[in-house]
Amino acid sequence: MRSFTFFLTAVATMAGLVILIAPDPGRADGQPAPFVTEIPHGYRDWRWISSAHEAGKLNSLGAVLGNDIAFNAWRDGKLPFPDGSIIAALHYRNVPSDENNKVFGQAQSFVPGLPTNVQFMVKDSTKYAATGGWGFGHFADGKPGDATFMKTCFPCHEKTTATDLVFTRYAP
Amino acid sequence: MKRIAYSLVALIALTGALAYMAHASGRSDGEAEPIFGIKIPPGYRDWKLISVAHEEGNLNDLRALLGNDVAIKAYRNGNLPFPDGTIIARLAWSYVPSEENNKAFGRAQSFVAGPVTNVQFMVKDSKKYAATGGWGFAQFKDGKPDATAALKTCFPCHEPGKARDFVFTQYAP
Repeated sequence: MRSFTFFLTAVATMAGLVILIAPDPGRADGQPAPFVTEIPHGYRDWRWISSAHEAGKLNSLGAVLGNDIAFNAWRDGKLPFPDGSIIAALHYRNVPSDENNKVFGQAQSFVPGLPTNVQFMVKDSTKYAATGGWGFGHFADGKPGDATFMKTCFPCHEKTTATDLVFTRYAP
Repeated sequence: MKRIAYSLVALIALTGALAYMAHASGRSDGEAEPIFGIKIPPGYRDWKLISVAHEEGNLNDLRALLGNDVAIKAYRNGNLPFPDGTIIARLAWSYVPSEENNKAFGRAQSFVAGPVTNVQFMVKDSKKYAATGGWGFAQFKDGKPDATAALKTCFPCHEPGKARDFVFTQYAP
């Protein structure tokens, strides 16, 4: 019985080692990904940084969340953001709320409609050195944006060097 | 020598106790709102996001709804009515254009959170607040409770939302 237990432990350890050694299939070619290709786990539980409304063509109502590293850096006013920071921008259609407007007695209330996309900024100053240390991600219906679209992120964010390429400010 | 050690230990213990008392009183000096007796819940800015909203007109604000763990769990599981212990925080800021964003976009389209306007809370306690659907309402401005009769207007307005336990905001996935 004891030798069987030992055997099981050995098998489990081996399995663990094999998983550790196996290359990440997404990085098998050894080339750093130019942008973020996987949705960071558990981002909807992150703390909230601020909200924004984009009028015009985007017609979007958005919330920006940060993982603990990003959130703490924001709150403590630390720049540049440390490696490991991840920022999530959740975007929804900006739609009027008939229910709220009825209660208010006037048309004034806008709420999130259908989700349009989720965008991410992942800080890794080595991996994403070519784009200011940030990897950009864009997912609509869970699918990443194509390479052409993703090339437009950095040139626009580059305009905010004073805040480490991040537009959003922490709302107290 | 032994006596010095004793005094040192006593001194450290006393300092610790004093520090603790100072800290504790620092925590409890928040003023309670007058009608429902609600204080600002500690740590609410760290709660998870329920949704965001924008109100035009006189309010002209941008808002975020955060929920404590009880609230978030109920929202995600679609549990109604909200259980006792639920707290929903409504944070609001002036709705202001962002010149910096607009410059980057090359057109005027971007609106962000400006100065804070106020923070409101809904606290669920089905016994204590039985007369108002089980909810206590509170509003704070600059950390001070709203002492006006404005709070009396909360429940009559929330009452039409009875089908969703008097809560207007729906969870944004």
